[in-house]
Amino acid sequence: MSAGPYNYSYIFKYIIIGDMGVGKSCLLHQFTEKKFMADCPHTIGVEFGTRIIEVSGQKIKLQIWDTAGQERFRAVTRSYYRGAAGALMVYDITRRSTYNHLSSWLTDTRNLTNPSTVIFLIGNKCDLEGQRDVTYEEASKFAEENGLMFVEASARQMGNRGDNVEEAFLETAKKIYQSIQDGRLDLNAAESGVQHKPSQPGRNNLSADQQASKDNCAC
Amino acid sequence: MADVLTEIVQPDDLKKFEKIYHEQLYKNDVTPKAQFEYAWCLVRSKYPTDIQKGIILLEELYKTHEEGQRDYLYFLAIGNARLKQYTKALNYVRSFLVIEPGNQQVITLQQTIKKRMEKEGLVGMAMAGGVVLAVGAIVGVGMAIASKVKS
Repeated sequence: MSAGPYNYSYIFKYIIIGDMGVGKSCLLHQFTEKKFMADCPHTIGVEFGTRIIEVSGQKIKLQIWDTAGQERFRAVTRSYYRGAAGALMVYDITRRSTYNHLSSWLTDTRNLTNPSTVIFLIGNKCDLEGQRDVTYEEASKFAEENGLMFVEASARQMGNRGDNVEEAFLETAKKIYQSIQDGRLDLNAAESGVQHKPSQPGRNNLSADQQASKDNCAC
Repeated sequence: MADVLTEIVQPDDLKKFEKIYHEQLYKNDVTPKAQFEYAWCLVRSKYPTDIQKGIILLEELYKTHEEGQRDYLYFLAIGNARLKQYTKALNYVRSFLVIEPGNQQVITLQQTIKKRMEKEGLVGMAMAGGVVLAVGAIVGVGMAIASKVKS
């Protein structure tokens, strides 16, 4: 098989969750398009984005489901949690209520994903230091107590370069990849959120039609 | 591969929201919420009859529940695109963009639908090419038989 630019060895499924208006779609857009979306209307249902990244020399395709934060979508968006390998849980550092609701988002995540799902907490809008309503220390402590990875980030930053946005997505992928290497994440489990697509023939016993389905993929 | 036009609803999710909708229907008191949640699951079904049913429920909501019109337009576009009714789907997308011209989510949906139309256009042409070859083969065989009969 040729090692074209669209080749990748793994697919990781991510979800982005959190209250309305914390900037979930802006984080996704910054990560996939490297642009800041100034006018960010409320997401309808779910949005989808992909990007291919590299971890330890392996190309990994991230399939990211960005869920709407509005309450009226919550019942159905819960079904997108299933089979997520990574969950980015977002709050807004300038609005305390979005931080206070984290435990409810975390409960949902724990109930609807599997134990190996990597949960990454993002305190978004850290460019708005003057309006800060949640300290770094407090959130950091919450993350530690709950075994979450944590970073403060900004989808909007000078020169359109998001701050810590790349890091959050990439660190999550590294942690998932590590779980695979350690054997903690079972690739054969239906809801692991990871698909393996070996690029070297014969290295793995994938059937021919699975190979073919990869070749048919246009993206 | 999954995207908003190909991902499939989990059957137990569909059943869950169907049950709520039917219970309310039985009491003759269907809330827009229950109808919308059921419709959203239906348009993500792998069965075209489900999608069609979802579209009918969404059309009804669009007419009766002004508050959610933005959402209903979006899912009407998705449902129709999934049924390959692309012109209709793009019309819904266009009416949405008249109200919110810069909406990135809907612009992305528009691109996804157009990409899919292009892809299927090519597939259609490839199939037509196959038919031409097949007809050619039949004519060829026919001519061979005819020439045999003559000799």
